[in-house]
Amino acid sequence: MVKTINVQGIRAPNSGILADNVIKNMDNSDEEIRFLLSPGAEVGMEAVARKHGYTLETSKSGDLIEARLMPTGKTMQEIDVRGDFCPGPVIAVGNIIAALPVGERLKVKAAGSDTLEDIVMAVKSSGSGVVDQGVEGDHHYLIAEKAEKPEAVSAIVNRDSVVIAQSSGIGNAERAYATFLFSKVGLSMGKKVTIFLLMDGAGLAKKGNAACVKHPEFERLDVLMDEVIKAGAKVYVCELSAKFRGIGPRDLVEGVRLAGAATYLELMSNPANAVVNF
Amino acid sequence: MSYEKIGQELKELLGLRGSPVAVKLAKTGADLPAGYQKVPEKSRHCQFVQNARLTGTKGYATLDEHMCKGGAGVMGIGPIPEHLSTGSTFHKLGNFRTAEGALDTVSAIPKSTESYYASVYSPLESAEFEPDVVVVIATPKQALRLSQAYLHELGGRISSDYSGIQSLCADAVVAVIERGVPNMTLGCNGSRKNTGIADEEVILGIPPRNLPAIIEALKIFSEKWG
Repeated sequence: MVKTINVQGIRAPNSGILADNVIKNMDNSDEEIRFLLSPGAEVGMEAVARKHGYTLETSKSGDLIEARLMPTGKTMQEIDVRGDFCPGPVIAVGNIIAALPVGERLKVKAAGSDTLEDIVMAVKSSGSGVVDQGVEGDHHYLIAEKAEKPEAVSAIVNRDSVVIAQSSGIGNAERAYATFLFSKVGLSMGKKVTIFLLMDGAGLAKKGNAACVKHPEFERLDVLMDEVIKAGAKVYVCELSAKFRGIGPRDLVEGVRLAGAATYLELMSNPANAVVNF
Repeated sequence: MSYEKIGQELKELLGLRGSPVAVKLAKTGADLPAGYQKVPEKSRHCQFVQNARLTGTKGYATLDEHMCKGGAGVMGIGPIPEHLSTGSTFHKLGNFRTAEGALDTVSAIPKSTESYYASVYSPLESAEFEPDVVVVIATPKQALRLSQAYLHELGGRISSDYSGIQSLCADAVVAVIERGVPNMTLGCNGSRKNTGIADEEVILGIPPRNLPAIIEALKIFSEKWG
């Protein structure tokens, strides 16, 4: 458990004096403490951390500064999921976060941004947060912070997003066309459209495949697909289905991104999304 | 910890007018100490503290008994009224030149991170419950001795913070519970005007865990300094 103390409004050096007293009164010297400070009040916190054998990390938290004091030697847990593919990273990260005390953090290293986005989706869906993400050298990373999942409340939601799950592929031309024609309609209605290609639908993500489909009454499928992507539809292809069919990142149609099971499940379970299956 | 002994010793060693006051925030009705009744009449948190201090009145107050909803709100008993949470009331009352200054101040007022059902009050020496905070109303010299006594064991300095509004509730109770360290505050217009806290008195909130060491230090001071 990380103790969080909001001391906004208190300026330096009083913030440091207060922090010193808080640490002296802690029951457990192994406990991590997080102070939420007004900008500028972090001055002097380094000296307090050193005095008590803590390591200080500061970061922005909205309009405030977050100063985390961790007992020196206690480091943030890390997991490296490079080389692993969906659903492995999401499961591994989820298991670690489930065991973390509230407020503690986990650093995740991933090879690509697609895997990372899938993990972000899973972390947020579990009620925890992502406090930082970016690129370090040759890999992507995120820092997740464990939080309690808020109780679900029933609410009336506007379904202004449409998710089209496409699992038939070019083997069923009518369903393939419907996927992108319905998307065009959705976009014209001002709705956010997300297409998730999975199972045989993953074949549509491979360059050249959609160009083989042409119905006399409609544009060639790859042209239609390109129109929809350029109009703002997000198109994901299931990482597992793509791998199953030997489709790699370089084979993908421009604008199509790999996504994992967590992204799919989150899209399906979000009550704001109207889901259509083709 | 014997609060009966600690309460008596605090009164005697400091020469306090009235009693230190044990305050507890109860999460539910089941957390109320056995035998405690609702306070005899509706009033403000600061008045409940004064009543326990000067007349020995014990009891608990739910949102219904708290007439100052701002004081109750910062303690997690009900919501903080919007006119207080935005600072607009304090701006209109003339506490702040600008609305921004008022908002900046009310945003920084310590607020309970948890919700509570009621606040419970008793003179410390007769409290039948484990308090979350002990509120001491003292003269500046008594506050000096308490400050010195707090620092006697581990040294350091004390930082107290207040804004002249929501004093006995936010500064003397919530700040102390949330941080786990003592805080001193100078009262607010409401507590000075309505509850009879004297001009020559200040208010301290002290975590109960600090009291045994404070008592020991006060005894040493008493021997050495008279």
